[in-house]
Amino acid sequence: MKEIMQKMRAEAARVLSSGEVDLVLGWEKGDLWWQSYPVFIENEKKAELLTWDLFCVPNLAKYLLEEIWHKKRVALFFKGCDALGFNQLMQDKRVDREKAFIFAVPCSGLVDPQKVERAGLHQGLLRVERLGDELTFVYKDREKKTAAPWFYYDKCLTCRYPNPVVFDFMLGEPVPVNPRERFTAVKELEGQNVDARFQYWQRQFSRCIRCFACRNVCPACSCRECIFDLTSPRWLGKATELSENQFYHITRAFHMAGRCVDCGECARVCPVQIPLTSLNRKLIKDIDELYGPYDAGVDPQKVPPLVTFNPGDPAAFLESKGV
Amino acid sequence: MSVAAKTQDFEPLIVAFCCNWCSYAGADLAGTGRMSYPANIRVIRVPCSSRVSPNFILRAFQRGADGVVVAGCHPGDCHYVSGNYHARRRFSMLRRFLEFVGIEAERLEVHWISASEGSRFAQVMQDITDKIRVLGPNRKLRDSR
Repeated sequence: MKEIMQKMRAEAARVLSSGEVDLVLGWEKGDLWWQSYPVFIENEKKAELLTWDLFCVPNLAKYLLEEIWHKKRVALFFKGCDALGFNQLMQDKRVDREKAFIFAVPCSGLVDPQKVERAGLHQGLLRVERLGDELTFVYKDREKKTAAPWFYYDKCLTCRYPNPVVFDFMLGEPVPVNPRERFTAVKELEGQNVDARFQYWQRQFSRCIRCFACRNVCPACSCRECIFDLTSPRWLGKATELSENQFYHITRAFHMAGRCVDCGECARVCPVQIPLTSLNRKLIKDIDELYGPYDAGVDPQKVPPLVTFNPGDPAAFLESKGV
Repeated sequence: MSVAAKTQDFEPLIVAFCCNWCSYAGADLAGTGRMSYPANIRVIRVPCSSRVSPNFILRAFQRGADGVVVAGCHPGDCHYVSGNYHARRRFSMLRRFLEFVGIEAERLEVHWISASEGSRFAQVMQDITDKIRVLGPNRKLRDSR
């Protein structure tokens, strides 16, 4: 990771000083071990701020929507999931491929600070390092080594595109692809009866504080005017009311049908841990079953399945049961 | 009060989104042909079955509907050539999705009813009213206020 970070800084300084780009989007280290935040660099002298570690999880592609950068050339760093998100923004005609200079950073998984905390390893932790498949937790006076996948985000364990699908320049070597089954939770829910499922989702949705973090972080949610912000007609009320939460989550997920790249950012940023990936993956699974396998974000030239049709499509709404 | 007595009292409210070119005309034919169908149906005319957004359906459930019917032209007959094909994908997905979040799939029905199928319109509306009457009121998506 260190070498990639060095390359990152060197390349950022190079493209800035040569005038190839006006801005570099990357990550910088925060104060604490788990903080790696997006940083915007316009001067090559600041390239030393850039970092690449196990916590560089925010997707930088969504920042390209900022109006003030529309006229500028921007260089940015993509992990596999970020690249899928970028392709989705491209498919939605929200970003211009010509104006982005993309550095690919193959990623074999990032560490979930909450998992570290749950394992009780966070007290006095200074930093986390990775060597091969082994993590080293570094404290003031000691070190602890464990197997890395235990602490990866769930979304990283099921990641199917760790190597960016779109880039101009690759930093580092492609990593092996070894995803776990991603529909396990969906299948488990499908096996329950409808009332049990309702109870489950009611429990999840009633926690929602409608902060809209899941919408704002999503690379497929890029409408200039979002229906949840409209006041006329006001689709989503302001009341703290379960039916409004249900309306929000059903609509949000359904808008993503056929466009969700399954990057898992929505579930990661949720402050109350609503398993939003299960909603998205249910839709992905149904599309795969009904209209053939489709991976959003892999090829931006393809037409998303819900804005097209085939005269021979099944009329699945005639099924006696939906699932 | 027993459960049976409760269901006897319950009169379902069903919203039917009917496409202007086929199903709405089908409803018209049912009317001019003096065929009776339950008074529980509230028909809303839409230009095309693909005009119906999932929001309309959710909002109907939120504001008191016990069932929703979306009716459009038969595949191949769409006035706008491909609207009902898009609707077919959309509502196939939506119905499975609602079932997934715990709403009985029976509450949302999609039918193709042409302008000449007045008796079919009456039959479809009769059937869904009977089904929802057995299923009982929708409490799951309703606004509690």
